[in-house]
Amino acid sequence: MSDPAAPALPAAVEAPVLAMRGISKSFFGVEVLHQVNFSVKRGEIMGLCGENGAGKSTLMKILAGVHAHDAGDIVLRGETVRRNATPMEMQNLGVSMIHQELNLLDELTVAQNIFLCREPRGPSGLINFKKMRDDAAAILERLGEKIDPRRKVYELKIAQKQMVEIAKAISFNVSLLIMDEPTSMLTGKETAILFDLIANLGSQGIAVVYISHRLKEIIDICRSVTILKDGSLVTVRGVAGITAQDIAALMVGRQVQTAKARDFAGDPGAVMLEARGVTDSLLKDVSFKVRKGEILGFSGLVGAGRTELMEVIFGMRRPESGSVLVEGRPVTVRTAMDAIRADIGLVTEDRKATGLVGCRDITDNSNYVSWLKTPGFFKGRSRSLGNARKMIDRLAIRCSGSSQLVSNLSGGNQQKVALSKWLLSGARVLVLDEPTRGVDVGSRQEIYQIIRELAAEGVAIIVVSSDLPEILTICERVIVMHEGRITGTLAASELSEAKVMSYATDVGTGEVNAGT
Amino acid sequence: MQALEARSENRALEFVKGIWRNYSVVVVFFVIIGICGLAAPRFLTPGNLLNILRNTSIVGSIALGMTFVIIAGGIDLSSGPVFATAGAVLIFLQRMKNPDGSPAVPLAVAILACCAVAVAFGFINGTVITKAKLPPFIVTLAVGIIARSVTMYIARGATVMGNNIAPFNQIGGGSFLDVPIPFLVVIVMAIVFHIVLTRTKYGTYVFAVGGNENAARFSGIKVDRIRIVTYMLVGLCTGIASTMEMSRMVAVAAATSGSQYEFEAITAVIVGGTSLAGGKGRLIGTIVGFIILGVVNNMMIMLNISPYLSGAVKGAVILFAVLLQRRERV
Repeated sequence: MSDPAAPALPAAVEAPVLAMRGISKSFFGVEVLHQVNFSVKRGEIMGLCGENGAGKSTLMKILAGVHAHDAGDIVLRGETVRRNATPMEMQNLGVSMIHQELNLLDELTVAQNIFLCREPRGPSGLINFKKMRDDAAAILERLGEKIDPRRKVYELKIAQKQMVEIAKAISFNVSLLIMDEPTSMLTGKETAILFDLIANLGSQGIAVVYISHRLKEIIDICRSVTILKDGSLVTVRGVAGITAQDIAALMVGRQVQTAKARDFAGDPGAVMLEARGVTDSLLKDVSFKVRKGEILGFSGLVGAGRTELMEVIFGMRRPESGSVLVEGRPVTVRTAMDAIRADIGLVTEDRKATGLVGCRDITDNSNYVSWLKTPGFFKGRSRSLGNARKMIDRLAIRCSGSSQLVSNLSGGNQQKVALSKWLLSGARVLVLDEPTRGVDVGSRQEIYQIIRELAAEGVAIIVVSSDLPEILTICERVIVMHEGRITGTLAASELSEAKVMSYATDVGTGEVNAGT
Repeated sequence: MQALEARSENRALEFVKGIWRNYSVVVVFFVIIGICGLAAPRFLTPGNLLNILRNTSIVGSIALGMTFVIIAGGIDLSSGPVFATAGAVLIFLQRMKNPDGSPAVPLAVAILACCAVAVAFGFINGTVITKAKLPPFIVTLAVGIIARSVTMYIARGATVMGNNIAPFNQIGGGSFLDVPIPFLVVIVMAIVFHIVLTRTKYGTYVFAVGGNENAARFSGIKVDRIRIVTYMLVGLCTGIASTMEMSRMVAVAAATSGSQYEFEAITAVIVGGTSLAGGKGRLIGTIVGFIILGVVNNMMIMLNISPYLSGAVKGAVILFAVLLQRRERV
């Protein structure tokens, strides 16, 4: 590597490495950024917050050379960058962006991914694989990561893939690294490792722009935070003394209520759904009950088996043993249709992949399940349309009409459409897997409100979430899982992040950390 | 006042844009017809136009079924060979005679057998694709090769002549009120299919499966069944197409009957604006698509252009149609 690790710099060198001045950008005549100023100092870790659609991603994509800005200047280390710079030019200038969806080629090795299009060549013009491997190993070592550069990327875990992305960014002699929601797919332990790494990058003089919806993370690792709203700059301030609520309030422009959930007050005997001894390759003898009108949370680390358990209940995964009872009667759920007949609904964790048909409209997407439940060959146009309109009103889905394609909706509104599918089918047990992933703060509160209303109507609700504040906000009772087992059950009144985390990790079970 | 005018103007513009977005293929169709009319005066005579409709209805029938398969995210490369196999079954049954010279097998039975064979191939395609989880391209390619080979075997590689009788000839060669019967058949099929695609649950699920198979599965839709039925549907369409052509030719050529029909049908579907990625498409587009192909073929003859160049023109038509749709999306 030509670039030796820069020693930690004294705080005196405070010239901004990046200054974006008066950046404006319009798409199809709609202004998405309005004269935004944004600057980052050398080695600074800057949080960037805003609701979905506030312009964070657009601003960063302009910086990374993905979009061209309409007005304003980008000044990098005192030099103005030309307007239509390509992503490659920006990378060579030291700006790298790690997108939320990782951009690695699965079939290539770690080293090949890091040096994609910049492979070191030997005298014959062919790729010098040995040098490439050695260079890759050196960069990974600088990150404190022990990944064999010869491994194919598809063999890696998500956290490791992210490390490869970071390694790739650093290999460009990066002075500014943009990270978009880097922790959304990581476990708690992996997040901690990432945070150490980010702090380490900062001390090496690399500035980091950190985009996240998880405001607590911003406060934990950033020195300052820039807040955008509706394409305009709201404020830039240090994180000292600021709370997540303060940031949220600045993002939405009003105070956000985060009421803590109370204990379940309904009839404890009215069990709606029960799972008994569900066991398979991952799940170990899992039993639980959820009552009518109860909001039951499932917490745990990624890979604890929560999603798999929900797939068993919904008939998408067949357990080796165990049974599911609805209102005390055993039901056989071998297919999703069996679950639907038993009035069980599942809002999946990945809207794009398993929740919605993006290229179809709101009417179709909200009616799929209710059509299955009604007899007849024809779909009944006016009834379907009426159903969709009812849901648009009830869930306040912001759209141009029921014939708008689902892929054109924002994340929060897409999630509402995914919910409407089950509301229209009359589900009495509703499983919500990560109900607000990729949903902005305002819509998040709306979805919580909908969940509470459904529970009040007597729907038994199961919320699977990796977002602890979310669990604390809406769940009346929480079951914590670890490695396929239930390790603890907590009522809302006894809930705390610390307790949940101790059950979710090895600490609560008293097991010795066997490593991951 | 001015604002109001501006808005109504805007609305008119939006309306025109909407028509262009949804019916650009129809607009292009009329442009092509106009150009053809100017280039060859004989083109716009009723006799010639009806002839185009008759010729194009065979591939048109297959294209209707193919639209379902492609919307559901699949493809059927076996239609041409299956067309020949089903045709061979029809001709063999139809030419069997009693000792007194009368047909041994009623015509209706022979036609039903022809369609049943084609539907059975569709069932095999769909079942292997969904249950063995293999790519439709490979499965239908293999099934097509098998079907062609089976046809060659039962016909001993030759052309088999059928029993040239009037009622049989009428199916493909006859007219009703001057309109060719094959075209009437295709129009009736198109109306029924259009209703199925847009008004029934099945049709909606075809779109859902093509748009996002996993989301469809997580919504409780029986994805495999929806898929298999689309392949059986294109099979049925192929059987009907085969019946119509056999009726006109009264012969099946083991090696060449239905050759390239699968590609012509797929071309018609693509020209009609249906997305090969699945989830998007319309039957009206397919109808216009196969008529455009028919018009192109006809013009090649009218203008005395070498038949060897027809592929070049058709290829250009595909590229043009796809380019047009690409620009719309941006």
